[in-house]
Amino acid sequence: METFLPSELIVESGSESSPIYQNLRRTLPQVPVKIVEDVDSVNVDDFRHGDFFGAAKKRLYLMRHRGEFFKKCPGSDGQVCCNYFVINFASNCPMDCSYCYLQEYLQDNAALKVFSNVGDLIDEAERTLQKHRGVFFRIGTGEITDSLALEPYTGMARELIPYFAERANVLLELKTKSDCVDSLLDLDPKGRVVVAWSMNPQPVIDLEEHDTASFSERLAAARRCQDAGYRLGFHFDPMIEYEGWQADYQAMLEAIFAGVDWRRLSWLSLGVLRETPGLKRTMRRRYPQSRLLTGEQVLCPDGKMRYFQPLRVEMYRKMVEWIHRQAPTVKIYLCMESREVWRQVFGFAPACEKELGNQMAPFA
Amino acid sequence: MMDWLEEIALRDHVGIGDILGAEKIEALKTDPRLGRADRLKQIKEQLRRLRYPRLAAAEEEIRKRVQSLKLHPQIRLTVPPGLEGGRLQVEFSATSATELRALAGKLCETVASPSVAEIFGLLSGRPADENPE
Repeated sequence: METFLPSELIVESGSESSPIYQNLRRTLPQVPVKIVEDVDSVNVDDFRHGDFFGAAKKRLYLMRHRGEFFKKCPGSDGQVCCNYFVINFASNCPMDCSYCYLQEYLQDNAALKVFSNVGDLIDEAERTLQKHRGVFFRIGTGEITDSLALEPYTGMARELIPYFAERANVLLELKTKSDCVDSLLDLDPKGRVVVAWSMNPQPVIDLEEHDTASFSERLAAARRCQDAGYRLGFHFDPMIEYEGWQADYQAMLEAIFAGVDWRRLSWLSLGVLRETPGLKRTMRRRYPQSRLLTGEQVLCPDGKMRYFQPLRVEMYRKMVEWIHRQAPTVKIYLCMESREVWRQVFGFAPACEKELGNQMAPFA
Repeated sequence: MMDWLEEIALRDHVGIGDILGAEKIEALKTDPRLGRADRLKQIKEQLRRLRYPRLAAAEEEIRKRVQSLKLHPQIRLTVPPGLEGGRLQVEFSATSATELRALAGKLCETVASPSVAEIFGLLSGRPADENPE
C-alpha cells in the first residue's frame, strides 16, 4: 500500500495540544502546516472545479468535532438492521474506491478531516456506556472514513483501543481496506476489539479499490492482528458480479480460511454493490470506464440500486455455501438487505434488529 | 435510454451506433406496421432486454409459466418491477359470493401446478428446473 502524503496539513487553532497533532507532526514532518483560527475560512476554490472530491483527499484537516461522536448506524430504510453504533473520528478517506458512497454523502463537505478532541469522544462514549450498562454495544469507526488508513499518521486507534478494551459491554470494530496495523500490535485488546477487513478478489481491487492495500497485504495484516490477540471480521461488501466472479470469490475465501483461524472470527458480512442514482451519476463522471456501471441493477424500495433480487440471492447463497464448506459455524449476516432476501438466502429472517444485534453479542 | 446505450456500449465494447444499427432494432425502426409511439416503446423494450439480459430472461421465463397456467381471465398473477421483493401478486375480482368461490377454487387448482413452484424458484434465484419445494 502506498504511503499517504497530503499536500498540506491545516490545523484549527487549539488542536495543537491534541496527541493526534503531535503524531501527525512526528510522522509527516515534510508536510507544510497551516494553523488557522477558522477552518471554514481556508480557500477551497481549487476543490470546486474538476475532480474536487479526489482533490479534497490530498489536503488533511485537523480540527475539533463539534457535534456528537456517538451515533446509531442509520442503516437503510426498510432493511434488516444489525443494531450497530458508529463513532466518527474522521470524515472522508484517503483511499478512492470507485463505488464509495462518500462521493455522494460528503459531496458538499468533502474535506479530509481528522478530529482532534479525542478526550471529548471518550467522555461522550463513557457517558453513554455507563448510562446503558445493560446494553451490549457493537461500535464501528468506519462509517464515513476508513478506520485504519490514516493510523500510521494519526495514531487514533491507538488512542481509543485502551479505553474500549476496558469496557465490558462493548465490542469495538475497526473496519479497513488498509494494512496499517503496526501501531495496534503491542496493545492488549482484551477480546473487545475486532479488526475487520473489507475484502474483494484482487481483480476487483485493481479496478475499483484505488489506493487501498492489496488482497495479500490485507490478509497478512489480518493474520498479524489475530496473532496479537484481536478478533477478526471480514466484510464481503460490496460483492461485485462479473464474468468469472465465482472462481475469484471462491479462491479469495480459500485464501482467507487458509490464512487465519476461522474459529476466532467474530463475524462475516455479505452485501452486494449498491448505489443511489445520484452516486451512479458521480461514478459515471469520476470513473466513466468502470464496469460497475454496467451491472444488472434495479432500483429498490430504499432508493438504492442493487443487482436484481434473484441474481443477488443466488450470489449470497453461493457465498454462504462456500464459506460454510470451510468454516461451518462462522456467523454470517447480510448488510442492508430485506427480510425477503434473508429468508431466501438463509431460510429465516431476524424478527427485529435487536435479535440480530444480540446474535452478535455472544461472539464478544 | 441514453444511459442504457452508454452502459451497453461500455459493457460490450461497441459503439452506440452499432447498438442502434443491430438487426432487431433496425427491424423495429423500419417496420411499417408500427406507429411512432409503438415503435419507440418497442425499441425501448429491446434496449432494456439488451441492457438487462438476465433480468429480461427471468421475466420472460416467469411470463411463459404464468401463460401456461391458462388462468381464468378474472385472475391475474404479476411479479414486482425488476423482480424486487420476491413476491407473486395475485389479483382477482368477483361480483358475487358464488363467483368468488369459483375463482378461489380455480386459483387453488392452479397452485398445484409445477409452474407455480417454478415461478417462485425463479423469483428466489433458483434455476427454473430446480424446484424449491
